Amino acid sequence: MIDTLIHILALTAPVAMIFASLFAFTTWLERKILARIQNRIGPNYINIPFTKFRKTFGLLQPAADGFKMLVKEDIVPHGADRFLHLLAPILALVPAMMVLCLLPFDLPFANESMKRIHAAALDNAVLLFFGITSINTLAVFMAGWASRNKYSLLGGMRAVAQMVSYEIPLVLSAAVVIMAVGSLSAQKIVAAQSTHWFIFTPWGLAAFFIFFIASLAETNRSPFDLPEAESEIIAGYFTEYSGFKFALFFLGEYLSIFAINGLAVTLFFGGGNGPWVQAHPWLSCVWFLAKIFGLIFIIIWLRGTVPRLRVDQLMAFAWKFLMPLSILNLFVAAVALKVQQPWLTWPLCALVLYAAAHGLSRLQQKNVGPRTYQYAE
Amino acid sequence: MIEQVAFYILSAVAVLGALLAVSRRNLVHGVFALLLFFAALSGLFVMLLADYVAAVQVLVYIGAVGILLLFTIMLTEHVTGDDLRRLGVRGWFWGLLLAVAVPAVLILPAVLNEKSAKAAPIVVAQGNPALANNATQANTVKALGKVLMEKYVVPLEVLALLLTAALIGAVAVAHAPEKDASGKDTPA
Amino acid sequence: MSNLTLEHYLILSAVLLGIGLLGVFTRRNVIVVLFSIEILFNAANLNFIAFWRFGDQPEALMGPIFALFAIAVAAAEVAVGLALVIAVYRHFKTVDLEKLDTLKEE
Repeated sequence: MIDTLIHILALTAPVAMIFASLFAFTTWLERKILARIQNRIGPNYINIPFTKFRKTFGLLQPAADGFKMLVKEDIVPHGADRFLHLLAPILALVPAMMVLCLLPFDLPFANESMKRIHAAALDNAVLLFFGITSINTLAVFMAGWASRNKYSLLGGMRAVAQMVSYEIPLVLSAAVVIMAVGSLSAQKIVAAQSTHWFIFTPWGLAAFFIFFIASLAETNRSPFDLPEAESEIIAGYFTEYSGFKFALFFLGEYLSIFAINGLAVTLFFGGGNGPWVQAHPWLSCVWFLAKIFGLIFIIIWLRGTVPRLRVDQLMAFAWKFLMPLSILNLFVAAVALKVQQPWLTWPLCALVLYAAAHGLSRLQQKNVGPRTYQYAE
Repeated sequence: MIEQVAFYILSAVAVLGALLAVSRRNLVHGVFALLLFFAALSGLFVMLLADYVAAVQVLVYIGAVGILLLFTIMLTEHVTGDDLRRLGVRGWFWGLLLAVAVPAVLILPAVLNEKSAKAAPIVVAQGNPALANNATQANTVKALGKVLMEKYVVPLEVLALLLTAALIGAVAVAHAPEKDASGKDTPA
Repeated sequence: MSNLTLEHYLILSAVLLGIGLLGVFTRRNVIVVLFSIEILFNAANLNFIAFWRFGDQPEALMGPIFALFAIAVAAAEVAVGLALVIAVYRHFKTVDLEKLDTLKEE
C-alpha cells in the first residue's frame, strides 16, 4: 500500500514540477511572441544581479516578475470573505496540478512496475480529467464572489457560464476518440495511435477543431477572455487579488492550459509517439512537450490576432454552433469507424461536416443586424 | 491501517461538510460545504473500489450540481448569499429528534446483532478477500460499460429520455415570461 | 484488506442520513432543503456501493449501476427543482417555505 503510494508520488510529482517550471518559460514566450506580432521587441534585458551581464534576451523576466509578486503587499478588500478569498487561488491551482498528473507522460526513469501502476491507477483518466477540471469553475466563482466587488462577481459569473457551456462540446469531441479506442485510459488511447494519429481522420480533425476552440474558452484565453476582459470589467474575477495570490491564479491558469493541451495531444496527436521513439524511449516526453508547445504557440498567435467576442455571441457560438456540430461529428465518426474505407470516408465525412458547419453558420448570420440595447430600469 | 486512517479522515470531512451545509446561514458557504461533502464521499467511493462512480460523482455533483445551486442562489437570494431569516426555530426540536432517532433505529440492529452474533450473523459483513480481488477485476470501466449497454440498456435509454425531459422542463419552468412594451408580463 | 467492515460504512451512511433529515426538517429555505435532499441521496448511494463491495456478487456490478442511475436521476431532480425555485421566487419574491402556504386554509 505504502509502496504504491510512493510509486505514484514518484511518477506524479516530477510531472507537476516540470510543468510548473515550464510555466515561467511560457510567460516569457508569450510576451516575446505577442511583442513580435505587435511589432515590438518585448522583454529583452534583465541583468543578472550583482553583475553587468545584460544579454539574457529577457529570459530572466519571469524570475523578476515572480520576485516582484512575492514581495508585493497582499491586499484583502474590506468586507471580503477572508477565508474563501484565500481558498480560491489554491483551489484554482490544485486541480490543474492534479490533471497534469493524469496525462500519459512517460518519464524516462520510470521502470516497468511503476508504469503498470500508473496505467492501472488511471483506468478512466479522461473522465477524471473532465471531472477535476470542472472544479476550476468553482475556484473562479469563489474568487469572484469572495472579493465583494461587482466587477469580480460579474467576471466570475461570466466565467462560470462560459466554462459550463463550453464543457459540453469539449467532452463530446473527446468522446469521439474514446468511442474509437474503446477505452478511457490515456495510455491505451496513445497506444491506439502508434501508427495513425486521430488528427489524420476526418472525424478526428473536426473533433480536434471543436476541442481546441472549446479548450480556449475553457481556459479563458483570447478570443474568449471575457471573464477577464480588462477593458470591460477591469480584470474580472481576480481584480481584487494581488501579490502571491495573484501569482497563484496566474500559475493555475497556465497549468490548466498545459493540461488541456496535453489532453489534446493525447487524444489527437498520439501523445508521446513520434519518430525515433522506438530506439530512444526518452524522446517520448520530448515529443509530448514539443507538441504541447506547438499548440501553445497557436494559442498565443490567436491572442495576438483575434478580437474578443461579445457575451451573446459567445453563448450562441457554444450552444448553437459547436454543440450541434460535435453531436453530428459523433454520428459521422460512428459511420466512418464502421465503413473503414479511407477513400470513401474522407470525402463523405468532410462533405457532411462542412455542409453542417456552413449551414449552422448561415443560420447564425440570419440574426445579425443592428444591435438592440436594453437598459436597466 | 492506512485505509482505516483514510476512512476516518474522509468520514469526518463528510460529516463536517454535511453539518456545515445544513447549518450555515450563508447559502454560498453552505454550497461550498456541500461540495466538500461530495468530494469526501467521492473519496469513500474510491476506497470502495468504485472509482468510476467516484469520477462521475466529481463530474456531476461538484461540476454541475454545485454550479447550478450557486446560480440559483445568485438569481433568487441576495448576492451575498446571506439567509437573513433565523434558522427554523419552530420545528427544531422535532426535527432534531427525528434526525437522531432515524439513524439510531438504523444503527441499533447492527450493534445489537454484533453483541448476539450467533442469533443472526450478518453474512455479508466480512469483506471476503477473494471477492474483493474479483471486484477489482470486475470493476473496470469496460465491464461496467458492457453491463450498461447489454443488461441495463432499456433503463439507460429511459434515463436519457428523463434527462432530456428534465432539461427541457427546467428551461420551460425557469424561463422568464416575455415582457411586452408596457413592461407587463404576458402569459407564455 | 484491513478490517474495515460493512458496518463502518453503514453507520457513516446512517449518520449522514440523519444530518440530511435534520436539514429537511429544520431549515425553511428551499435551497437548503434541496442541499439536504442531496445529502440524503448521497447517503443512500454510499449504502449501495458498500453493499455491493461487501456483498457476495461483486461481479454483477449492481451497486455501481444503481449508484450511477441514482446520480443521474438526482441531477435531473436538482435541475427541475432549482428551476421551480426560480419560478417560485419570481412569483412570491421569497424562497421561505413557511411563507409559501397559499394552499393552506385561512
